[in-house]
Formats: sequence, structure tokens, C-alpha cells
Amino acid sequence: MSEHMGAPDEWFIAALAGFRDMTTARLRALQAGRSAHEAYRIASGEVEPPEAVAAMFQRFGGLRDKWRASARGCTPTSVGERCAELGVDIVLPNHELFPAQLIDDPRRPAVLFVQGDLHKLDARRVGIVGTRNPTRSGAQTAARFGRELADEGVVVVSGLALGIDGAAHRGVLASADGVPVAVVANGHGAPYPKRHAALWNEVAERGVVISEWPPGTAPDAFRFPQRNRILAALSELVVVVESRERGGSLITAREAGERGTDVFAVPGPIDQRSSAGTNALLEDGAAPATSTETLLMALGLDHRRAGRRRFESRPAPGATGTRVLELCRAKPHNLESVSTALGVELTHAAMELARLERAGWVAEAAGWFEAVDEYSEFV
Amino acid sequence: MFASIPSSVLLGAQGHPVSVEVHVGKGLPGFHVVGLPDESVREARDRVRAAVMSSDATWPDIRITVNLAPSQQRKSGSGLDLAIAVGVLAASEQIPLDSIRNLAFVGEVGLDGSVRAVPGVAPMVGVLGDRDLVVPIPNAHEALVVAQGRVRPIGHLRELIAVFNDLTPWPDHDISVAPRCVTPVPDLADVVGQPMARRALEIAAAGGHHCLFVGPPGSGKTMLAARLPGLLPSLDREQALDVTMIHSAAGVELPPSGLVERPPFRAPHHTSSEVSIVGGGSHSMRPGEISLAHCGVLFMDELPEYGPKVIDTIRQPIEEGVVRVARASLHTTIPARFQLVAAMNPCPCGEGNHPGDCSCGTARMLKYASRVSGPLLDRFDLRVQVERPNVDDLLHGAKGETTAEVARRVAAARAAAMSRQGRLNCELAAVDLDQFAPLTSEALAVLRHEMERKALSGRGYHRIRRVARTIADISTPGATAIDEPTIALALSMRTRVATYPGLGRAA
Repeated sequence: MSEHMGAPDEWFIAALAGFRDMTTARLRALQAGRSAHEAYRIASGEVEPPEAVAAMFQRFGGLRDKWRASARGCTPTSVGERCAELGVDIVLPNHELFPAQLIDDPRRPAVLFVQGDLHKLDARRVGIVGTRNPTRSGAQTAARFGRELADEGVVVVSGLALGIDGAAHRGVLASADGVPVAVVANGHGAPYPKRHAALWNEVAERGVVISEWPPGTAPDAFRFPQRNRILAALSELVVVVESRERGGSLITAREAGERGTDVFAVPGPIDQRSSAGTNALLEDGAAPATSTETLLMALGLDHRRAGRRRFESRPAPGATGTRVLELCRAKPHNLESVSTALGVELTHAAMELARLERAGWVAEAAGWFEAVDEYSEFV
Repeated sequence: MFASIPSSVLLGAQGHPVSVEVHVGKGLPGFHVVGLPDESVREARDRVRAAVMSSDATWPDIRITVNLAPSQQRKSGSGLDLAIAVGVLAASEQIPLDSIRNLAFVGEVGLDGSVRAVPGVAPMVGVLGDRDLVVPIPNAHEALVVAQGRVRPIGHLRELIAVFNDLTPWPDHDISVAPRCVTPVPDLADVVGQPMARRALEIAAAGGHHCLFVGPPGSGKTMLAARLPGLLPSLDREQALDVTMIHSAAGVELPPSGLVERPPFRAPHHTSSEVSIVGGGSHSMRPGEISLAHCGVLFMDELPEYGPKVIDTIRQPIEEGVVRVARASLHTTIPARFQLVAAMNPCPCGEGNHPGDCSCGTARMLKYASRVSGPLLDRFDLRVQVERPNVDDLLHGAKGETTAEVARRVAAARAAAMSRQGRLNCELAAVDLDQFAPLTSEALAVLRHEMERKALSGRGYHRIRRVARTIADISTPGATAIDEPTIALALSMRTRVATYPGLGRAA
């Protein structure tokens, strides 16, 4: 008989989720009409598998051995205790806290690992997603949406990835009562990407970090589309800020579309790769997201927000500087294109750009200059 | 009987005089070579014996001993063949000793007695003083460039025997070398648009700055680099001799005049071995690509693809202008004062320059960046982002300035630098910058701001000022102080490399 007799149900399921090559579908097949303990005993090879599971073993050769090996390291007690240690709640679908939006989902997760209070999801929710490698203006837009939505009490869901996701989370955190929600593709306890370790902790503290996989699970490539479906399901509407023609955020948009969730996309210049995906979404019928008001209106919220204008402390640029700034607001420019557009010497263009940069009007990356707005610090 | 024949061998790019002493005396018939010959020299025994017999001379069937003095130094190469053959003939009294007085011999012999070309004749001849020189016909043009005495080109051992026995005068061979089909020097006018890259190339030429082009595939990085030598002035006599020595030693084909007068352009492929790039290898220590680029341009395309050892080992020559090649038993110093031009993609997918275009993952990006990071990047005064040329420019754009026009400005700027400080701007010492490249107060404020926000290191500060000096020398000749626009351009030509734009907060 198993030594895990006294362990609670969720520990068994949590351990099962950590088995090698475990998928949501397999986990649900194991659970079908059985107790969590029974499912665990079948997967770990303690008892002979019933017909359906045996057929699965037959189809995926090696699965039985992999699971049997997994059972040695991934025991209910070890996973359960690790979760407790990290302050991670294991939430099964029958739990009252399991998000209602996921209960009826066609691909409902079998278990969720949660840092933070799931009650916080009982609010209006907007998903903000986008590329890991955005333009500065894209990241600024994500931060702006995050901040301004949070100011209106909207919960912002994103994925803790570099780029757009990170900017959105940081924007939310900048709002006094902002509630950031992150759905991640790896397990708790080992933040990914490493660069966002601090951000992960902040989000967990102020909001919620949700994963479908137990602590320590690596961010394998196949988990990201899975994560995106949860992100889409949790959001009332999804905004794609920037995405290249085959970006992962398009998967989120598709998942959202399949669930009848409204998809918004931020329009961008047609010759800019980072807007190719979002512009394609617009062509396919996504609504353009041009301001936070648009999104608030779509949620049916009062969109007449009190105008918050920041005091402009930057010294106003001169005549040429203003023209250069206009250029950089439209799209990224480099020294060469500024010099050509203005018809001035390279040295002169370089000086104007350097002055604008020093005054904080533009920022440079790899030779390209983009205009800076008040959300620059969240990029 | 005994004869001593002057000749020389090659080590690196230098000749070393060797006396070939030949003794023919009583004893069991035999032919021995002593004095640290390597395999290629030892093989001379068989060649020389056959060549002598093929030249209607008699091979002395008694004991022959050849000593190569100085005997503690290892000899390599087939250039001693001719001297050994003449030594045997003289020692066996088939040619009079008097006839070979004040003559030196370099060349390889064939089994039929013909005299063949060897690499490195220029440096080998250079150490033989004012003696008259007997060399293979194909090597005569390079020997003429260096020789102080007369050059006697020779085609066959038989000719030599006839001359020494006063039967015929010295043969009068045609030593002119047919010019190979000359590849036209690429002209800067072919580069359409791309004002930034063109400007960078001009600055590199005028100031001697090492230059790195960073840009996506198809942005013309290679095309630009190939046009740099055309902008550089011709070599002076001393440089030309140095370069000729090295090229001769490496067996690289020399121009018909025998003298390399234009700055060389070398572009070793990134799969090249460390030895082929740095030099060394056999006992003769063949000069590597960095030495072949001496006084010229070394172009490294796809910089991150070079082996990490290669990148590491060229750092010292960049600083010192010479490469020290050392092996267990011997070492030599080969000149390697080259201008380095390198090209790389901004990231593995190649699109990383433009915001939002890159699709590389962080891990790939960091791996790529780590291959070129740090000390080598620091050596480039100019690090320029190159973009793909505008399609309209490419199809209808007016041709840019020609190489000749730009070269004139480059020459003027170089002359200005030389008359001001006696060296190119890239070699300006940090302590002299305030004297030769003073800054206006606005320019200083710009640099101070950059340093305060940690965008510029102390070393970078000096490099920026050198580049700014060059920019000023080109565009405002005669100006003493460096102004703000000039500094701004210099700063924009020192872009950070292989930072991932998506990592918004990257340093």
C-alpha cells in the first residue's frame, strides 16, 4: 500500500502534473471517474492500468517507464511540501477558488498552482500581450495601458515575458492599487526569464501568479501555447500591442477568438516588422486599440477619465529639434534617415539627436532613436 | 677540397645568411648534410646529385660533407639547393673557386638541372649584402627590388657551369613578369546611398582607426570594407619593402614590378586556422594573414564566427604592430601593423538593429554576444551600424563620390595629422589629446553627460576624442578645437554591439 495514504487529493494531482511528458489531456484521462489517489497509483505503476490508460501507454511507447521513474522523484509529499514552502496554493477545479472562467473551458486545466489571492480575479480583466522584442513605443504603449487600466480598477493579465508583458506588468505596479496577474509557462520557485525574477516577486506580492505546472517545471517551448490559452480564458478582452508575423501573442489572440473573447490590436506602421502581426489581426477583424478609453469603453466602464497631464519638465527643443522629434514619434529613425529627411549634414543631425536624447525626448538603441513618453521608465 | 658558398634561409619574414660549406675528400662514397637541416633541406641531397649529373658534370664518388653554418640554427626550405650544387662543383674542382668569389646563390634545383623559384627570395637576398646574386629567373624581379649587388637570373645549372668556366658570358634572360589580368580596384562610387557607412569608411581611412560594421545581411558590409584600401595612400619606400619581404616570404604573388606599392587587403575566411592567421607552422614560420595585411587592411567578415582563440591571439598584434611567433626551439618577430576592419550581424537572425525586427531568443542572443564581447570590441574606434540601402537609392540613386575624390580628402587629413603630431590620429597618445584635440565647452559637456550616465568608459572617452579629431580634420581643415556636432557624430559611430534591444534595460 502507498505510503502517501494520508496526503490530500491536491497533492496527488500536483505530483502527477510534475511527471515527465504529462499533459493536461493525459492528466484528465488519468483522473476520469477516479479518486486522485487512485490516479496516482495507476500512473506510478503501483496498480495495473485500466483499459483506457493501458491504451495510452500502448500508443506512447516509453510513457509507462517515464512515469514510473518520475514517481520516484515526484511524490505527493515532496511536491506538496515544496508548494507549502513557496506559499503556492494547489487549486483543483472542485475548489471554490478555481477561476469560474476556466471551469467550463474546453481544455480546462486539471490543476492550478497559484501564488497570491485568486479572489483578486473577481474584477474586470484585460489581457495585454505582445512580442518579447518590441519597439520602445510598443513597450511604452503596453505600460500606458497597464497603468491606466489599473487606475480604473481593471485587473491586467499578462505573461511575465520580456518586452510587452514586462512593460504591462510594470505599468500596473506603478498604479497605486493596481493588481497584476501573471500566467506563466514554467513552475514557481525558479522565475523565468531570470531578468524578471524581481518583477515576478512583485507581481506575486501585489497580485497573482498562476501556473499549470508544479514548482521547478522548466519553461519548455511547448508550455507557452498552453499558457496562452489560460491567459486568453482569464481575460475579458485581449490586447495585442506588438507582434511579428508569427509571434506567440497571435496564439493568445486565436485562443481568445475561439472563446468569443474580444481581441484588440494596436495599429502600427505597415513597414515595421514588430507590427506585422497586429496589423494582420486588424485586417482579420480585430478592433483597433488606440487608447485606454477604447478598452474601457469595450468593458462598458466609464471612460471619461480625469485628464492626468504630467508637468512637462523637459526643456522644449528648438525648431530643428522639434522636427527631429516629430520624425521619431512617427517611427524609429536613425542618424542617416534623420539627416536625409531634414537634408542636413550627418554631424548636424547627430548633434540634434544627441541634444534630444540628453533632454530625455528620445532614447537610442542600436543606433535607432524613438520618442520617449512618460511611460518610458517601464520599458 | 673545400668550398664555402654564401646563401640564406627564411625564418618568418626575415632572411638569415647561411654559409654552405662543402668538403669533398677521401673516404667511403657518401653525401652528408649537417648543421640542423630539416627534412626539406635533407632532400636536397638527391635533387643536387641528379641535377649535377644532368648538367654534364661529374658527381664525385667520394665522401662529400655539407655543413650549413651557423650550425645551431635549424634550416628549412629548398632555397639552399643551388648553393650546395655550386659548392660540390667547386669543391670537386669542376669550376674554379675564383669564379664564384663574391657571389651568393639562392634557388631550388630540379632533377634535370633546371633552377626553380622559391618563396621568400626578397628577404633572403636582403641579408646577403653587396654580393652579386644568382637567383632563379622567376624570382629575379623581387631580388632586383632588394639587392644591392647585381642580380644574375639563371635558368639551368648547365648555364652556370659554362659561365664559371669562361665558356660563355652571363646569360641574358628575360625577367619581366607578365602582368596577370588585373582585377579592377573596387570604387566607392559603386556604393549607393549609405551616407553613414561611407562617412565611417572615410574617417577610418583618414585616421587609421579600426572599424567594425554591424548590420543585417545584404547591407553591403563586405562591399564597403573592400573599398578601404583604395582610399589609403600608396606605401612609402620603406613600407613597400617591408610588405614585399613579407609577401615574398609567404609565397604570395608579387606585382610585376616586384614591389608591393599599394596597401594590401587580406580577407581570411572565418574557418581559417589560428596558425594561418597569426603565422608560424613549419620551421620557416610562414607569415600569417595579419602579417600579410601589414601596412594594409585586414578584413574579418562575420567576426563572431572566428574561433575564440583566433580572436584572442590577434589582440596583442593589434596593440604592438608585430606578432611574436615562438616555438620550442625558435622564435621570430613578424611585422603586423594592420588596420582591422570587421563585419558582423547584429544578432543571429541578422535583423537586430531595427527595433522590433529581431526574432532571436534571449539565450541565442547572449551566446552570440559573448563571442565578441569585451576586449576585442574595445579595439574598434569606429563601431558603425549599417542598414540595408534604400530600395529607391539602389535602383535610381545617383552614384556617390568616387574613390579618387574621397582619397584626396583622406590624404589631406592624413597630411594634417602628420604635420601636427607626427603620427596618425589613431595613434595619438591619451596625454597628448588636450594639446592636439582640445574640446569646446559644449563638446566637453556632451562627453561629460555620456560618462555620467555610464554610456562611455574612460578608454572610450579617449577613443571618441581621437575619432572626433579625424572627423574635424576631414570636414573643417585647420580647426583646432573639436565642436559639439563633431563629438556627436563620433559618439554615434561608437554604437554598442550585441545588446538585445528587447532587453530594454540592458546596460
